[in-house]
Amino acid sequence: MKRPGSTALALADRRLVVCLGPGGVGKTTISAALALHLALGGRKVDVMTVDPAPRLLDALGLRVDDSSLQPVSLGAMGARGGARLRALKLDPKRVFDRLIERYAPSAAARDAILADRVYRNLSNALAGVADYMAMEQLLELSRAPDADMIVLDTPPAAEALDFLGAPRRMLELLGSRAVTLLGAAGDAMRGPFSMLDLAARAVLGAFDRVTGLHLLGDVRNFVRNFSGMYAGFAERAEAAGELLRDPRTLIVVVATAERERIAQAIEFVAALNEMDLKAGAIAINRLRPPLPGAGEIAKSRKIPESLRAKLQSHLADLAALQTREQAALDALHAALPQGVELLHATDLGREPRSLADLAEIAKTIRRA
Amino acid sequence: MTPPRLIFVTGKGGSGKSAVAAALALALSRRRPATLADLDRRGSAAGMLAAAGKADALETLALAPRAELKAFIHRIVPLRSISKRMLRSRTFGYVTAALPGLEAFLMLERLRLIAGTAALEDRYAVIDAPATGHALELLNVAGGIRELASTGTLHRLAAAVEDFIADPNRFGVILTVSPEELSLREALDAARAMRETLRVGWIAAALNFVTAPLFSAAEVATLADFPEHARLAEARRRAGRAAADARRALRDAGLGVIELPMVFAADFDHAGLETLCERLEQGLSQP
Repeated sequence: MKRPGSTALALADRRLVVCLGPGGVGKTTISAALALHLALGGRKVDVMTVDPAPRLLDALGLRVDDSSLQPVSLGAMGARGGARLRALKLDPKRVFDRLIERYAPSAAARDAILADRVYRNLSNALAGVADYMAMEQLLELSRAPDADMIVLDTPPAAEALDFLGAPRRMLELLGSRAVTLLGAAGDAMRGPFSMLDLAARAVLGAFDRVTGLHLLGDVRNFVRNFSGMYAGFAERAEAAGELLRDPRTLIVVVATAERERIAQAIEFVAALNEMDLKAGAIAINRLRPPLPGAGEIAKSRKIPESLRAKLQSHLADLAALQTREQAALDALHAALPQGVELLHATDLGREPRSLADLAEIAKTIRRA
Repeated sequence: MTPPRLIFVTGKGGSGKSAVAAALALALSRRRPATLADLDRRGSAAGMLAAAGKADALETLALAPRAELKAFIHRIVPLRSISKRMLRSRTFGYVTAALPGLEAFLMLERLRLIAGTAALEDRYAVIDAPATGHALELLNVAGGIRELASTGTLHRLAAAVEDFIADPNRFGVILTVSPEELSLREALDAARAMRETLRVGWIAAALNFVTAPLFSAAEVATLADFPEHARLAEARRRAGRAAADARRALRDAGLGVIELPMVFAADFDHAGLETLCERLEQGLSQP
């Protein structure tokens, strides 16, 4: 098996690796495998996972209901001196609550917000909260001393912007004129409002009554409580943006060798460019290992004829899938944006359930 | 299995959701005219149909939350001049900021209307929905809105949407599952949540990528001199058994299971879609 020397080289001077990609391509596995690989090389690595499979959770020594940073025992893995791996599982709701606790101007404001029905609705239901909280968790990790390297798994996304654009969208929502307008009581409006704003406010009031939501009062309270925290949120979003644009950050778009997924990966890279972010690599996960030749079984006398026929038909099945895979890879090669490195990772043939499995996957990660 | 008027196809990423939605729409369009609506923002299912050569009795539709919100505001603000002005201004921002979840809810309301039209016109609708997590959030939003709005238009609409989701003649879910631990667990959890919390009345599983074990353990053992071939044969045997285990777990959970074969072809094109389509047709014709 190939030594992953080239991969280690590409990661040597990085401080942060972010794995992005659509659901079901193995982002969590790739994140965990990379983190383990880097740790075994003698670095102090923290990895954040999103919704790992139960066996992967076990392999990392994590529990479903615990979202704290846990040391991963590397005892039997032959790690170099100084190696350390810690892992955590993202819990968006808890991160959001911590954020409120940190930035609330007073204990009373904090309690009011945590109990508020608008906040509860926002923190549970608003699409993008998990994305934003992954970013927030990243900031928490990056400010903790004593780690050389952070590897970040992200929530499944249909578009790259889901995750990377989350802080900006959240800020736009919280800082929008709409929220200011709603939050300001009639006598305490900040800044000049146009007639249209006032009209909109009146219409919104009517809308609130007609729809039966009677939410405006609540939203107003929420925004009033929240206003003291806006600066804190803005500062966090700024810091997250800087971290992602840092030259020591590597953004990896993970995909599998299927036509649709590869088209999606290329769209991700383009969307990143539009946000002034750069994908450093596209990692194609779960590639099929090369097939053995049919020659040796054709000659063997030990194999009964019926079994030989089945083996050959199975090889033909797999060869067809490999052709399909290769066509997808060829399309990727043709469309690969300049400056984006292509990484391949080979399928293990089973779901990873131990650190040894993760290490085996990491060993297959190579420059294509 | 008598299919409901509208089938909502969801599943874990990588379980073949869009291909199943496309094949299902194709299968139903051979019974009655059908509509395939994409909710996944990418139009993946419609794209697959187009690549396979679209059928005559099948139309495709892309649903956008923004358009639903627009239609709703026109409906609820009777004065056209005001509603138009709201729509031109930043009021969209105002409304969505004030009412998180409203866009998702209006999407559900649209599905209810699509199913109503389908019943009137005797046709079917298939929705290529978001992946399981987002799909559950979407379906849950009606209950949330009904609790938030104690009276009024939205309360009535939310109650109507909840009835729609629970009506097996109008609404059903097909969960696509690949025979792997994580995918199976996610499908079982989703089915439980859909039954217990959302009272969905019609749920079936489409177990995808099913292979026959092909090799027995004894046969694998005779391949000791050929480790590479033994490894492949063993992997195939395990995949076959994993599919059988998944089928049992899904049936034990009380779900109807339609098995879809792994399509071993160099190109998943018209023939691949046709294979899935035939199996879905057979599955839906079972009692």
